[in-house]
Parts: sequence; C-alpha cells; structure tokens
Amino acid sequence: MPVVDIDPDELRTLTGHDEKDDDAFKQDLFGLGLEFEGETEEGELQFEFAPDRLDRLSVEGVARSLRYQYGEDTGVYVPDTNDPDWTIQVDASVPNERPYVTGAVVRGIDLDEAALDSLIQLQEKLHATMGRQRAKGAIGIHDLVMLKGERIDERDLAGDTSDPTDDLTPVGGEDGAHRAGAPGGDEATDVGGPTITYRGVEPEEDTFVPLDADKAMTPADVLAEHPTGETYADIVSEYERYPAIYDELGLFSFPPVINGQRTELSTGSRNLFVEMTGTNQWTIDRMLAIICYALDARGGSIEEVDVVYEPEAPGERDSDHLIRPELDVRRKTVRHERIESTLGIDLEMEEVQELFARSGLGSSAKLGEETAYEVEIPPYRVDVLHPVDLVDDVGRAYGFDDLEPKYPVIGTIGGRHERSRLERATRTALVGLGFEDLLNFHLSSPAENYERMNVEEGSDVLGGEPAVNVTSSYSEDYTQLRTWALPSLMHVLENNTHRRYPQELSEVGFVANRDETVNTNVAEHRTVAGAIARTNATYEEIKGRLQALVSEFDVTLSTPATDHPSFIDGRVADVVIDGESVGVIGELHPEVLVARDLEVPVAAFEFRLDALAN
Amino acid sequence: MRLPERQVAVLHAASATEAEPIPAIADEAGLKEEAVTTAAFELAEAGLVEIQERTEEDVRLTDEGRDYLAGELPEVRFYRAAVHAGADESPAPMGQVIGAAGLEGPQVDIALSNFARKGYGKIESGNVAADPESDSDSDPEAAALEAIDAGESVADEAVLGHLERRGLVAREEHTIRSVTLTDDGVDALMEGVEATETADQLTPEMLTSGEWADVEFTEYNVEADAAETGAGKVHVLRQTSERVKDVLVGMGFQEMQGPHADADFWINDCLFMPQDHPARTHWDRFALDVDPVDELPEELVEAVENAHREGVGDDGDGYHSPWDEGFAREVALRGHTTSLSMRYLSGMAEALSDGDGQASESGSVEPPQRYFSVEKAYRNDTIDATHLLEFFQIEGWVMAENLSVRDLMGTFEEFYRQFGITDVQFKPHYNPYTEPSFELFGRHPETDELIEIGNSGLFREEVLRPLGVECDVMAWGLALERLAMLYTGADDIRDLHGTLADLEFLRNTEVIY
Repeated sequence: MPVVDIDPDELRTLTGHDEKDDDAFKQDLFGLGLEFEGETEEGELQFEFAPDRLDRLSVEGVARSLRYQYGEDTGVYVPDTNDPDWTIQVDASVPNERPYVTGAVVRGIDLDEAALDSLIQLQEKLHATMGRQRAKGAIGIHDLVMLKGERIDERDLAGDTSDPTDDLTPVGGEDGAHRAGAPGGDEATDVGGPTITYRGVEPEEDTFVPLDADKAMTPADVLAEHPTGETYADIVSEYERYPAIYDELGLFSFPPVINGQRTELSTGSRNLFVEMTGTNQWTIDRMLAIICYALDARGGSIEEVDVVYEPEAPGERDSDHLIRPELDVRRKTVRHERIESTLGIDLEMEEVQELFARSGLGSSAKLGEETAYEVEIPPYRVDVLHPVDLVDDVGRAYGFDDLEPKYPVIGTIGGRHERSRLERATRTALVGLGFEDLLNFHLSSPAENYERMNVEEGSDVLGGEPAVNVTSSYSEDYTQLRTWALPSLMHVLENNTHRRYPQELSEVGFVANRDETVNTNVAEHRTVAGAIARTNATYEEIKGRLQALVSEFDVTLSTPATDHPSFIDGRVADVVIDGESVGVIGELHPEVLVARDLEVPVAAFEFRLDALAN
Repeated sequence: MRLPERQVAVLHAASATEAEPIPAIADEAGLKEEAVTTAAFELAEAGLVEIQERTEEDVRLTDEGRDYLAGELPEVRFYRAAVHAGADESPAPMGQVIGAAGLEGPQVDIALSNFARKGYGKIESGNVAADPESDSDSDPEAAALEAIDAGESVADEAVLGHLERRGLVAREEHTIRSVTLTDDGVDALMEGVEATETADQLTPEMLTSGEWADVEFTEYNVEADAAETGAGKVHVLRQTSERVKDVLVGMGFQEMQGPHADADFWINDCLFMPQDHPARTHWDRFALDVDPVDELPEELVEAVENAHREGVGDDGDGYHSPWDEGFAREVALRGHTTSLSMRYLSGMAEALSDGDGQASESGSVEPPQRYFSVEKAYRNDTIDATHLLEFFQIEGWVMAENLSVRDLMGTFEEFYRQFGITDVQFKPHYNPYTEPSFELFGRHPETDELIEIGNSGLFREEVLRPLGVECDVMAWGLALERLAMLYTGADDIRDLHGTLADLEFLRNTEVIY
C-alpha cells in the first residue's frame, strides 16, 4: 500500500489549522483511511493508505481532503487555466511502444524546500502507482526558464488539427476536454508559440548531460552506466528508438528514464514545464491533473499547452490536437434508493447532498420517477469508475462507524462437500491408528520430490509423474508442485531426528502433476500417506495399519508385489483397492534413509484418497 | 504376623539396643533409602519401631574454595609477594606487588580486604607495608579449607563463618533418621514375622487361578511422571480449520471446492483486477509452466472483457489498461480462493470441482445463498516467521436481494464472536473488486490488542453482472493461520503450517475446540 510522508507544518499551513497538533492530525487522517506508520528521520509523519485515492499522494492533496472533512471546503473545485503559449509537437519518429504525451505550464510558483520535496515525492509516488513504475506513465518537471522554444513553422500544423473521432476520448471527455483547434490552426493555438518536440532518437544518436552526471551521455550510455538508467533500462531497452524530448537547444529529457541537468528544478524555479509520456493517454492526463491540483494548491497558475500529434505519429492519436491539462468535471447519476439500500438507512435528500459536498463532489437532484442525483466528480478522482464509488463516498462522509450492525434474516442450509467429509473421516481414522496428522507444503523441488527419493521424473511409478513448475520462484526449495506426499513426510522426519521416537506421521493432502487431458493442464488429486519411523518399523507393521485404515471403508485391499526405487526390493507392493492400483507400500530403501540422516528404519504407504470413496 | 516384604526386611535389620541409621538399614536390607524410609514410618505407625531424627551439617567447598585450595588464598599470595618486594622492611608500591602476585580482576579487591583484615600488613597512600611477624604458612582459613576437603570438621565457628561469607564454603543441613525396635517390635520378631506375598503386576494367570485374592500389590509412586504416550493427533491448523467449518456450517454456509491451479481469468479477471495491476506482474504471480487453459466460457469471457474495457452500467467506466484474453487463459496457482467464489457465482462450479477444470453450461445461482471455503491460496514471496508461500484462506460470501453494509457488519460480528473476538471494527478500505470495502479489526481475546482480522466488502457490479448475478453479494476473507496464531500463541508461522514443522510443537500444542 502506498505511503505518503507529510511534514506536519506544511499540513498546518495548507489546511489553515495552525492550532492542530500532530496527534490531532493523526486522528483526523485515520478517519480518512490514512494510517499513521511512523516518522521519517526528518520528522515527517508517514501514513499508509489504500491505493485508490492517488490524489492523496502528497501533502497538498491530503490537506484538501482534510478541508473537505472539516467542512471548510465543499463541492467541486477546479483550478482556472490560462490559454496556451507552449506547444508539444509529437513527431512521427516517436517509439511505437510509448506514443503518448501530455503537459502543462505552471507559472508564478514559490518553490521553497518543502514544496519542492513534496512535488518530488508526488512525482515518485505517482510513478510507483498509476505510472506502473514509469512503464505506463512517466513525469518530467522542468524549469521553464531553461527551455528555449523553437518557433514552429505554421505549415506543420496546418490541416491536421481536427479530431474527427472521439471514440477513444477518455472518460468524461466532453467539450473542452479535447478541444479541436480550428482548421488552419490559427484560433485555438498560438501558432508560432514556443515548441518542444517529443520524438524518437537512435540509442547513440545524440547526447545530453543527465541529472546526477558530470558529462554528456548518449541515451545508450545512460542505460548502461547511469544508476537511474540501469534501474529503468528494462522499460526501453527493447525499443528500436528511444523516447526523447527536444527544445530549440536540443535534447533535454530522456523519458521515462531521466531528465537533463539543464532544466533541473531548484528552489529558485518560478515557472515550470510539466510533461508526461506514456502508453495510455488517459493515464498520463489523470496523473497530470493530480500534479496540477498540487501545484495550484501551492499558488501556481496553470497554463494550458497545445499537444499536436503529427499525422504520422504512432498510436491512436495521430493528427490529434489536444489542449492540456484536461481538468474537466465528470458526471455520474446515483440513485437515492441505491444509497439507502447499500448503507441500510433512510436519508433525506438534503442530507445526501450535504454528504456529497463534504466529499468534494457536486450534486444536483434529479426528480423523476426515481429520485437520483447528478454528481460532479473533480478530475483528480481517478478512482471513481461507477456510481457505487460515490455511494461509498457518502458512506464515508456519513461515518460507517455510525451504522448499526444487523444480522440478515436469510434462510440457507449449511453443509460440507463430500470430499471434505471424506478427508475428515480418513484423517480421523489415521489419528485413531496413532499417526500424527501433518499439513505440509504443496510446493517442493525436484531434489525433494524425485532425486532424494531415487525416483526419476517421468518414470511409471507413484511419484514419478511429471511435475508442474513455477515459472519464477524466489527460492529453489519451492519450484514445483509435489507429485506425491511421501517426500514431505520424509522431510519432516529428517528435520526431527532430535525429537522423540517412534515418529508415526500421516497426511491427507494435495498433489498435482502435468496432464494435458485436463483443461488447466494440471491434474490435481488428494493423496493419503503414512510413515512409521522406529527401531522396529517393518513392512508387516505398516501393512497392518493400512489394512486397519482401509477396513474402515467399504472397499477391498490387496498388495501384489511390485518394484519402486524408493523402497527395498522384495518389501514393496502396489496398493490395489477394489481392483485398481492406487498406490504403493513398503520399507524405505536404506539409501533414501541415509541421505536424510535417519538412523531408524521407515515403512510407509501412499495412495489416492478417492479410492476410499464409493 | 504378616507384613509387607520391605517392612519385614526393615524389622530384621533394626536393633532394639542401637539406633540404626536408615542408610545402614537400606544397605543391609538391599532396599533403596526411600523405600526404607517409607517402611520405617509405616512400622512406626504400627508401634513396632521408633524413629529418631537429628540434623547434621554438611560443609563443602565451593568451586572458588576449591580453586584456592589448589593454589593459594589471594591475600596470602599478596603477602608473600609483598615480603618478596621487601615491604616487610619499607613500604612497596601497591601496583608492583599486585603485579608480582599475579592478581587480576576481582581477586585484587579480595586480596586487599582480607590482607588488612587478617593483619598481614597495611596499605597507605598506595604503598604496602607487610607485617614481618605474620605467618602466612599457617593461615587458619587456608588450613580450614584443607580440612574440609579432607572430610574433617572445622571447630572454629569464626573461621567457618568467614569462609562462608567469602563464598568459599557452602553449609547445608540435612536430617539423619535412625530406627530402633520398640518392645512390641521385639515381641513381634520373637513371635515370628512373615512377608506377605506381593505382586508387581496383575497377570491373566492370577485372574484365572484366583491367586489375586492372596497377593498384595506393590505400591506405585502414583504421583511420578510417566514416559509419555505418543498419541496420534490432528494437525493444529486442521483443528482450527475444522472449528471454522463448524461455525460456518452452523451459520448456514455451504462449502466450495475447486482447482488450485486455475486460469488467471477466474483468479483475477473475474475479480475486476486490471491486467496491469501490480499484483498481476511477473514476480507476484505464481505462474506455472503449462499451456494456457483450453476452454473458457465464451460468453462470460466477453462479458468480463467488456467490464474491464467499458465498465458496467450506463454510468460505468472501464480501466485504461490493456486486456488480453491470452493472459486470462494463462494458468497460475490461485493467489486467493476468491476464484472459487467467482466459479460458484457464475453457476459453473459443480463441473469444475476436483480439479478437472472443464467448463460446463452456465447454471444460475438464485438468492439467497451462503458459501464458504477454507482452502489453500498461494503467494510468490520468501518464507519467514510471518509469511509462507502457501496459506489457508477463509473465504465466505452471502448472496441476497438488497444487502447493506449493516448486514455485512452483523454477519461478521457474529462470525468473530464465535471465536471470542469482540468489538469488531470496520475500517473503510479499497479493493478493486468490492465497494464499499472494509478492513476488519477486533480485540484479541487474551491480549485485548486491536488486531487486523480480515478484509470484506460488497462485490462491485463490475464483478457480479458479467457473472450473471443481479442481486447483492457480500464477501470476506481472512488467513486461517492468523486465527490459529491467535489461538495457539505461536509466533512463528512455520511451526503452524508446512514441512518445516517441529514435531515437538505439534505434539505439545493444546487442542482447539
């Protein structure tokens, strides 16, 4: 779950509550679902929360939520934006894998140390969550003063600023979200305004001085030598061309890996250029909205940016002309009855609207056949997918704690399924015969499952069935599903040679093997295994136990001689139940015992549980 | 007169004229001292002997005392070194003498304080003056140590007291009992005393022959611990699971079953987990090296894909994440048993049980329903004291028309109350598949701590509608191990579950009922 670090002084300033102490904030934030986790070395408070409200990834968003909770802000707030000056041009050379870009200019911000830290934190946390570790969306924030916009040639824009298809417009993409420039591109856009270009570069094509470096490097050098480059190399290493952003002076950013030193932010930065690249336009536009709200809260004024996709640009936005940031309010209809039935209480309409307002939502009642509300949702609420999410907001604002639990009067019949009952009966019988019931891991390794039992994978003996492997495991001890349970019992014996003997162990458990005749290609079974380890453990004794066990069920048992590499020749038999060979019984081979440092003989059986069912 | 065998032996060994100590009698009668003591008290009760008691003091050397016996007392060493340094004539520097005596650590203080106490000399301003008159060869404490070691007694109580205070000797008192025959005892012996026949064990022969009537059974020490019987026992986590199943069946829940290795479709896609959700990445999934599933129910796949892309309902939005049926068909170990709930809610569970994984025609599940499972789920992680790769998930859901958050709260309060967990609190939470969602907290029955006890919520329409469910479903999940740790007080989950188990822990854990 995400963790946000919050400087309590910042929170006091941004909420306007100088009188609140840290504990009061902790309590208020717990009410919002932010749980206090501890303090950083710098004395910032750390809060953990569920990854839905990504607008709370920085102190600005948390302060906004608190102001709603305190009732000091109500309803929807949308920052004002100024008309665009800058343009981001999207070149045809942009890598196919990362076709989308968005951006905004923020002017007149006072970035003190705390505000800068907070902005960097928000950027990192958005990368980690919505940005999917920068793969889906990556943010670059630049000092605008350091950018030099190339004046764009008018004819580059001519004729391709319309946006005929709106199918792929993101949620809520109504008028204004996606303003198409007038043909000719001379009305909505400042043709001739400063421009930066999102394009692709060959890995060795160009150089720039990245952050935390002291020399000019090519993008390929960055991936190979720069620590940040190494971290994010996986995202772009397969690309033919790397993503790059140019201004008039040249390459200044290598998204999603690293920015150039030239445009690095500092506490002296007053005007910012925010750009984001990614694999999904909606995602980066939403990340941008969250950043813009945070910067607005810091007193910055948001200025729009023209995003102009060239006709040959890859992805689904070719020839599109977007005005960003997109800060449109979305609307959803929520039925009054749905709110009441979900919360289990009766509510007045005014009450519901009050609760919406306290959640930072706007609402207008729709009186028709059925009472409902048209709810306005601010653009930073990336979590709202369905009216039920707004019902949840009402519940939180009302206080779920204040709801009285009630036991639902619903008549149903309880019961266990047949296999569950068979397992229990078998376990009860085994315990009655003196076995200690075990519950072992289903995951094992080839060494345990086959090699140490002298069994070869794919051989036609119990346990020899081919195993299903885990494709990427953290531990070599747990790389496959066990094909039989006896190795698990042997493992427990091996781990407990210092414990009291006799050790008589059993398990009724799960095993699996590859099987292409099954839909999942994995055949799953339940198995019954028993082992006795004692100075006088013999075939006769284990056979006696098996007979006693099987005789509790309405089946017949026979044990014709067989071969099995885990057992001593001549002291091993097939377990045949009702005429079908379902398992094996015998005295374990000394090789198997010695390999596990066992100093007592072991006799054991294993067979399929379903053989006992009738 | 007939008496038990060992009483007879004691009578014979005792004398009327001399008090015979019990160890001597034991020796003579060939019995253990404890047995003789018991028999003597029994005889005394019958008036045949008298028992005299006196206390004796046992003085023995401590380890430190034995060390000085082998070497010298520190103050003696110090005195000799001082004399050697000429301190009997003119004072010598203390540091030099300590060094010459080879004294270290606490021995220095011991030497200095006893040196002064015994009048071996004086220490002033860091210089040592030794008394030339002292005779360190006849140190009374050294002599006493030797005497004690030789088993002799030390008469000088003052010397003994010093040694005890210095921790060089330990003094213990113990009781010596002696036995003397009384007149009645002598008479009895004169008249003749015979031993009753005793038996160690009741045998089948005794029972059939009737011999049992004439024998006296030797007494056992019935209080002593016996060698423990190795008992079969249901695994502690299974016991916990059985308890949970009892409770849920009692509350009207039916048990579910289904495949451990399943299509990602059932494990994640049906749960409205976007395909690029962090939990579905390479390292968090338990992907298996088998081919994708052959069959998925087509209509359902289409409905689920649609929910992911477009959302559900007039005002629903989808995810802006890729959705690929190929990924949905891939096979992995289930990360939660909610895959079973998805199968049952879809009405396709029955044919899918027991791992055959075949899709059958869609059935329909009509409200009301209650279902549960206590089954294994898998998590690709590393093993430590609080994390396993495999754990049991308690999963349950209730389907009905118009379920509210209050019904959810009432149901789970009742469930946890069965386990002594009260004061259940519902903290609003976020899950991709439920809304509203709650983390559940409750009071530990013994420590009274507030602990996390589960996760719950009402399934979203994006989950239910594609499955064909038109009413409400509330669900919750909880790790069984968590409940078991509360019960057993186990602090290492590896003891509670799995192949790394310590048999001693399993054998000694209390039963759960």
